[in-house]
Amino acid sequence: MSPPCSASKNNMSLIFLAIASPCIASCIALITKRRAVMEAATMIASVVVLASAALLAFNVAKDGVYSRSVYFSVDALGALVIATIAVVGCAAAFYSVAYIREEAEKKVIGSSRTRQYFLFFNLFVGAMLFAASTANPILTWIAIEATTLSTAFLISFYNKPSAMEAAWKYLIINSVGLLLGFFGTLLYFTSVETGGSMPLVDWGLLSSHAGALDPVIAKIAFIFVLIGYGTKIGLAPMHTWKPDAYGKAPTPIAALFSGALLNVALAAMLRFKSITDSAVGTEFTGQLLVALGVLSVVVAAFIMFAQKNYKRLLAYSSIEHAGMMALGFGFGGIGALAAALHMVYHSLAKAILFFAAGNIFLKYSSTKIRHVRGALRAIPATSALFIFGFLAASGIPPLGLFLTKAHIAAAGMAAHPVAVIVAVLSLIVAFVAFLKHTHAMMFGEKPEEIAQGESSAWLIIPSFVLVVLFVYLSVHPPAYLYTLVSAVAASY
Amino acid sequence: MEHLFVQLLIVIMFLAAVFLHVVKKNSTAAVLYCAQSAAMATILLAASIEADSRPLLFVALATFAVKTLIAPLFFAHLIKRHQLKFSASTYLSVPLTLIAVAALTALTRSHIFAPLVALGNGREGMLSLALAMMLISLFLIVNRKGAISQMIGILSLENSIVAFAVFAGLEQAPGLQMGIMFDILVWVVVATVFTSMMYKQFGSLDVTAMQRLKE
Repeated sequence: MSPPCSASKNNMSLIFLAIASPCIASCIALITKRRAVMEAATMIASVVVLASAALLAFNVAKDGVYSRSVYFSVDALGALVIATIAVVGCAAAFYSVAYIREEAEKKVIGSSRTRQYFLFFNLFVGAMLFAASTANPILTWIAIEATTLSTAFLISFYNKPSAMEAAWKYLIINSVGLLLGFFGTLLYFTSVETGGSMPLVDWGLLSSHAGALDPVIAKIAFIFVLIGYGTKIGLAPMHTWKPDAYGKAPTPIAALFSGALLNVALAAMLRFKSITDSAVGTEFTGQLLVALGVLSVVVAAFIMFAQKNYKRLLAYSSIEHAGMMALGFGFGGIGALAAALHMVYHSLAKAILFFAAGNIFLKYSSTKIRHVRGALRAIPATSALFIFGFLAASGIPPLGLFLTKAHIAAAGMAAHPVAVIVAVLSLIVAFVAFLKHTHAMMFGEKPEEIAQGESSAWLIIPSFVLVVLFVYLSVHPPAYLYTLVSAVAASY
Repeated sequence: MEHLFVQLLIVIMFLAAVFLHVVKKNSTAAVLYCAQSAAMATILLAASIEADSRPLLFVALATFAVKTLIAPLFFAHLIKRHQLKFSASTYLSVPLTLIAVAALTALTRSHIFAPLVALGNGREGMLSLALAMMLISLFLIVNRKGAISQMIGILSLENSIVAFAVFAGLEQAPGLQMGIMFDILVWVVVATVFTSMMYKQFGSLDVTAMQRLKE
């Protein structure tokens, strides 16, 4: 168990600050018509969230769980997830300002769309932070459902039939998935004896009562939770909304989907995994995660090969990485440690890729791979970032994702050799597919009508900062990160 | 007597879920959902009276307001605004649909669902019906091609999960139930706005008309 809270008051304030900042920015977007005010509010809020998350992570690494209340509590997993939301969220906020300005200048969107964007962007970030920091499973569920509702309008942002279709698919599939997850969540409450109405149950209480959970009910509950939160994570076969939503949402939102929301849903699922493991042992949940993990990697890898749209390509890459994380946590031990680290690296790599994809879209006005040629000449800085993102996401040594993938594979080799071999072969297929598409887009002659040069330095700077952070964490991971990751691996 | 009354209410909820598969008119589907939700709110009201709890009474009233008044009003407005008299068709024919509904109901009586039904502690029959409603609602979402039917299917699924929670003694604290209710309210608003936007884009609420994402 983690040491008792030593500064709960401070950390409650940090949690409050982190959640309240984007909510205030959202309210500002609702009441003001001035774009500059919305932009400033969003950027300030994102910096406040980043500072709060950094302090929170340091404190959790130093003293263990903070704010042990039935409403809010942040452990190592929570701190790690909040940190990824904050980093990707801050980068996305700064990137969004430049991205939305470009879209507005091109007359693709008007002032009401801009307002809608910043309103829902901040709500989305706030809902994710709430989900990651609340100690109550039902509040976690409500917050994750809130992420669905706040992002549905962002997927249909461009108001085209295809965007509408993607948003409807997203809304329906995620709503059904989350309702099933809600049912699974309720089943875990059967372990808590009630003398009438249910008390406020936090994760700690559920964990302490895990021994009283009927093993059969625990298994059924985990299956429902895995379907529910697995839908949000985007594990195959519940992944079908993901390529459509990622493909149609504005790229900063897609970056948040992949770099932050995936981790939020994964964290919720892992908390239930831990409770189920206490009730029935680790084999049951491990096997399910390994099965879905392998399926996700295989499905994603082969579809990536035939992909025609680079944003959808990145979506399938996310599914592949979600599969790797599921494999790591399914294998346990060093695999879980690598999977926790994989969450962090993947968030950064995918944000870099999506921001670069956004720049490509702004330049070429198309998400079709066949329409993008000679990007290296047209937008060299963006292309360099995209290539870096591709190398990072593919797990090229010595970058972080190489180490995590290697450790996940090594962790499962003894107990699940077939799964590991299939996954590794699929990773090779995914790498070749990604390389093929990246080569096609980056090289060759650029179309004459495409002007040379980046649209704005602010479309590059957030990605560049993420690259620096990614390299730093890859070659010299700080001690506090290892402390957090080790604590996650020990608990989940 | 009380037990019998609650049994009657869960039977009404179940029958509403079954008839949702048969009805052709969107307005009838909305009325059926309204009836199902009214039964659900009455069950919660009975529970609040039994527990002599004012917070639970507020939850029952909020349920009634959101699911029996507001959601059907939104549906009615949507149907009237776009002249959506008839729901889109189903993938399976009506006889096949009814056979599937019967099979799903029978499944909840099988050993597969026995551990869940056993949570009832004297209310096994009601839990079994709540589980059957869940499966039937899921099937409604899958089998119907109309967006309004899919929306009602999701809300019916939520009703059946709440019914299961009540009969299995898993109701949450009133504050959390209000949070869930707020979530449902926002969901209804968002889904209705989307449905309206979809109609403007596609000229139909038949989800099979949405083929733009195929590449």
